[in-house]
Amino acid sequence: MRLPPFQFLEPTNVEEALSMMNARKETLKIMAGGTDLLNRMRFRLIEPAFVMNIGKLRDVDGIDIGENETVIGTNTKLKDIARSPLINNKFRAIAEAAFEAASPAVTNMATIGGNILQDTRCLYYNQSGMVLNGLERCHKRGGTICLAVKGGKRCFSVCQSDMAPALIAFDAKCVLQKKGSTRTVALTELFTGNGVTPFAIGADELLTKIIIPQPKNGVGSAYRKLRLRGSVDYPLASAAAFVSVTKDGEVNACRVVLGSAGASPRVIDGRSCETHLESIAQKAYDSAEGIDNLQMPGAYRRKMAGVLAKRAIKAAMDRLKEGM
Amino acid sequence: MSEMKKTAITLNVNNETHDIIAYPNKTLLEALRDDLRLTGTKESCGEGVCGSCTVLLDGAPVRSCLTLAVAVQGKKITTIEGLRVGEKLHPVQEAFVNHHAIQCGFCSPGMILTAYALLKENPTPTETEIRRAISGNICRCTGYAKIVEAIKSLAEEGK
Amino acid sequence: MEKFSYIGKDMKRIDTASKSTGEALFAADLALPRMLVGKILRSPHAHARIVAIDASRAEKLPGVKAVLTARDTCGDKWGVFKYTQDQQFLPTEKVRYVGEEVAAVAAVDEDTALEALSLIDVAYEPLPAVFTIEDALSPGAPQLHDVYPNNINIHVHINVGDVEKGFAGSHLVREDTFAAPEDSYFQGEPYAVAAQFDHAGNLEIWMPNAGPHLKSKPLSNVLKIPLNKVRVRKITIGGAFGGRSEISPADVICAFLAKKTQRPVKIVYTREENTVCTRQAHSMIARIKTGVDREGRVVARDITCHMDGGAYSSTGPIATSVPFLCMEQAYRMENVRYNGYRVLTNKPIRGMFRTHGRAFACGVDIQLDRLGEALGIDPLTMRLRNARQTGDTTPTKSYVASCGLTETIEKTAKRSRWAEKFGKLPPYHGIGIGCNSVQTGFPMGIRGGSQAFIKLNEDGGVTVITGIVDNGQGNDHMIVQIAAEELGLTPDDIQLITADTEVTPSDPGSYSMCETFIGGNAVRLAAQDVKKKLFRIVAEEFGVGEEDLSAKNRKIFVTKNPEQSISITKAVRMALTRNESISGEGSYWPNVDWKREWVKNPYGQLSETFSFGTVICEVKVDPETGQVEVLEVTASQDVGYALNPKVIEGQFEGGVAMGGQGGMLTEYLQWHEGRVLTPTQLGYLVPLAIDMPKINDIIVETIDPKGPYGAKEAGMSVAMSAAQAYCGAISNAVGIYFHEYPITPDKILKAIEEKKKGDRKE
Repeated sequence: MRLPPFQFLEPTNVEEALSMMNARKETLKIMAGGTDLLNRMRFRLIEPAFVMNIGKLRDVDGIDIGENETVIGTNTKLKDIARSPLINNKFRAIAEAAFEAASPAVTNMATIGGNILQDTRCLYYNQSGMVLNGLERCHKRGGTICLAVKGGKRCFSVCQSDMAPALIAFDAKCVLQKKGSTRTVALTELFTGNGVTPFAIGADELLTKIIIPQPKNGVGSAYRKLRLRGSVDYPLASAAAFVSVTKDGEVNACRVVLGSAGASPRVIDGRSCETHLESIAQKAYDSAEGIDNLQMPGAYRRKMAGVLAKRAIKAAMDRLKEGM
Repeated sequence: MSEMKKTAITLNVNNETHDIIAYPNKTLLEALRDDLRLTGTKESCGEGVCGSCTVLLDGAPVRSCLTLAVAVQGKKITTIEGLRVGEKLHPVQEAFVNHHAIQCGFCSPGMILTAYALLKENPTPTETEIRRAISGNICRCTGYAKIVEAIKSLAEEGK
Repeated sequence: MEKFSYIGKDMKRIDTASKSTGEALFAADLALPRMLVGKILRSPHAHARIVAIDASRAEKLPGVKAVLTARDTCGDKWGVFKYTQDQQFLPTEKVRYVGEEVAAVAAVDEDTALEALSLIDVAYEPLPAVFTIEDALSPGAPQLHDVYPNNINIHVHINVGDVEKGFAGSHLVREDTFAAPEDSYFQGEPYAVAAQFDHAGNLEIWMPNAGPHLKSKPLSNVLKIPLNKVRVRKITIGGAFGGRSEISPADVICAFLAKKTQRPVKIVYTREENTVCTRQAHSMIARIKTGVDREGRVVARDITCHMDGGAYSSTGPIATSVPFLCMEQAYRMENVRYNGYRVLTNKPIRGMFRTHGRAFACGVDIQLDRLGEALGIDPLTMRLRNARQTGDTTPTKSYVASCGLTETIEKTAKRSRWAEKFGKLPPYHGIGIGCNSVQTGFPMGIRGGSQAFIKLNEDGGVTVITGIVDNGQGNDHMIVQIAAEELGLTPDDIQLITADTEVTPSDPGSYSMCETFIGGNAVRLAAQDVKKKLFRIVAEEFGVGEEDLSAKNRKIFVTKNPEQSISITKAVRMALTRNESISGEGSYWPNVDWKREWVKNPYGQLSETFSFGTVICEVKVDPETGQVEVLEVTASQDVGYALNPKVIEGQFEGGVAMGGQGGMLTEYLQWHEGRVLTPTQLGYLVPLAIDMPKINDIIVETIDPKGPYGAKEAGMSVAMSAAQAYCGAISNAVGIYFHEYPITPDKILKAIEEKKKGDRKE
């Protein structure tokens, strides 16, 4: 299937990229690995006038582990994250998410920034003209109806990022740069929860870095993902868990972040019930949206959010005990 | 379309330099197949899932259908046509032939390149590592058993 | 000396080296000078009247060389049978499914062609549509075709023995309903067709096909040119699985565009087009009532099956019959009634599929398990007691000349350690068995037989000319093996010209598993024919009888005195100087009942022989997620005789992937108002390498009396029975019998929950 026409931009440094973005705003789309953007373009869901490849940017690639924080450049490939011994050691859930995100060849291309900022998805949206021609436009395509939920007043498309839940579990922040200014925000603030415009990021803003604070004392984490095949596929439900303890071994943070549960990752504070796996499962179930807009019925996916939350927490606890 | 301008694109494919003139919306897959007539690289799903369009970019398997030709200038591209040397099949190709790892053959170029890259990186993969490495290459004919056997035979030689 | 030099040996296939290097050309790989890009405009409506088509804007777009509408194709219709000619190559009045061809363009490049499509104005008057079997059959439902009242396209009625009496005399009777949605062939290669005309009006055309002659006849009809001007060429084919057999509107469109422009034209389908606009497999609802005696033997069976055929007939009469026929072949039943209905809906067209009828076959097997459980008889014994035997005649009167079903059941059970496992596995572990049988062809009209030629060259090498098609399964190699074996040559001495309607004689095509049996026999006879001619010359030379001679290692020799020999090259040269023919002809016409007809007379010899298969599958179910882990699969088939065992293993393994792993766990199409929501590789979940279990292959040989060297077919019975084995295993693991397929995790979890609550007891 042919890509629509566009003009190609390829900045070699961040400043140049920011200038290009500043000049072109919404008419420009950023291409990192290309694995999300080009598929949406091929379906003609978006037809940007400009495509800016950030693959050649210097200084936004690689993992830098410092004493207080770890910085991952936006262009870092998922495969490099999955294979990094340091990430595997310290941020296990993040390595697991990167490893499970897609097939090996796609993780060779896809980047952490691209995975976080991948558009929300829906069976009634991510389609070619074969399906969409002749269908009424839904919210996400500029219309006023929802094809997945009869009478749906909003868009129920789903954030299927694998990286976002895992990073949020570690309380990650991200650096957003635009011409003349830089801001650092919690990763959770990047998500609007609105399926039509899922990201709170300006058209002239570039996500350049992800910062993961160094947890103190003992930490355990895990990422669990449900899909029908053993590789390739987006999560139908997912859960990243993070547990940390004080010097005395008391749990001082316990978080579960759900993926594929709505238009943004859903954060559940599990501190009050860290020892009761069933209550974590119940919270996850309550938090997840179960809409029939991906494969498998929404009700089933919602139940699985609970099961995965439980399993992720259990794995994180076990790893904590093993001193991982 | 009027906005889009054709540009000269230089591609290093199988150690040969090729210059093409193309619009930027040309994928590497289209450039290889339509401009360079290297039709061993196949299009099956067109969305980066099936692996039929796999080529190596600086040695690593990538999806040429999700890669813009204009964005890979200066990189070393290897297609299935670049694997064999002269009359002899590459050992990976030979193993696929000998072990009946090929039926209809549509997925084979991508599968062979993926196996080649795996063995370069890890000459002695386990069966699980083999299965995982080729999990982004979908074969509708074989059920993968003979493909795994073919790669395993080389893994054993690598020991 | 060994009996055979090549037959029965593990040989590497002759066609795979070129596939490993990218050299093998598929239809989409073709590039001809001045070639144009063809694109098809498709209906966005499931059911609509075409009010007007205005292509003038498209025609004026620079770079557009031709626009094609129904005016050009004259509304000509196509159908596999005389009584099913209901599909226009381009519709004149109505569109009947989302994706149906409406118009087409040829342009200098793809972007221009796509732009041109957007400039074709079609005025539609939308009509009410039906998307399910129930809706299509309900009173007052919108009608798709005037000629099929109540949207019933085909009704196959079979009645043998006395079913009511059988039930009355049964010890136990059960009635259950089984259902499955549509599945997809999902060939690796998306459909593509390239065509060109020469100055003399000869058409050359390339496309993946199961039989070039099945393509050339309708092309000849619609283009109104004789058959000898239609040259369907051989091309490498990226899988078929039953889905490349009929003429496609794209073939006709491409040919017309090439004619109009007098330039080569190529149409390459997108993945979505391949899923929606080629063929799909039928969705199905099967109601099965079975009565058994005290020992579990089937006394009577009554089956009513409704299949959703989509918008047109396609291979409807065959598709409506085959699921029943496979099961009547596999299991004995004396009193049986079958009512098969193919129902039309406003959905894409359905054809014959490698694992056609999963709801049907799984239903028959699951019901055997349920009846067995009630009688205290284990599934294995139920299969053994009902298994078809050599010398039987099926209810619809096919004599079974060879049948190794019992052997496949016993060997599969032994290898999978059934006796140690069934009923003794830990919770949520299960084991299941399935058996099935397929035909090696059926009465196919004048194209039911195969003919082959063999031409000897002066150096002793040969060219074999046959219509046999290789869809990827290895048929080309089978031809080489047979010719080399018969002629005493090496595979390197054999060249092929196959599947080209200009050159190759009639052949049924790679359809219904008949190529080995019918085409293979024809090649063997052609080789024997030319061998006889050489033997006559050599016998004269040596002063011995023709029957005293053998051919092997490129030599003809006296069998009892191999020292007395002559090279085949020499024999050929002798023939040439004596003005003797050195070509051979072979023709094989299977012994089937040509009066048998799918609807009017579904009785008589269906196929000359049948294959029989058994699969046993062991699984583990995650009770919290409902996900299935398949631990091991053992697959076995009576193939008659294994011409090339590795090829057969490959068919078994591919069959388990498609029929079992995909067909029972992940593969089905999801819909929205007649639109396929899962047309891509991300939506339609074909199994991955990481998903596949260990597979044990067991080849059973019964040496069919008429098959070439005793061979029948190489693996379809396994593909079919794999679904049944998976189904049985999951049911066994959960303790609930599943009646709806595929068995996705949500269904499994629901069953487990209901069982826990006590809502469902088995």
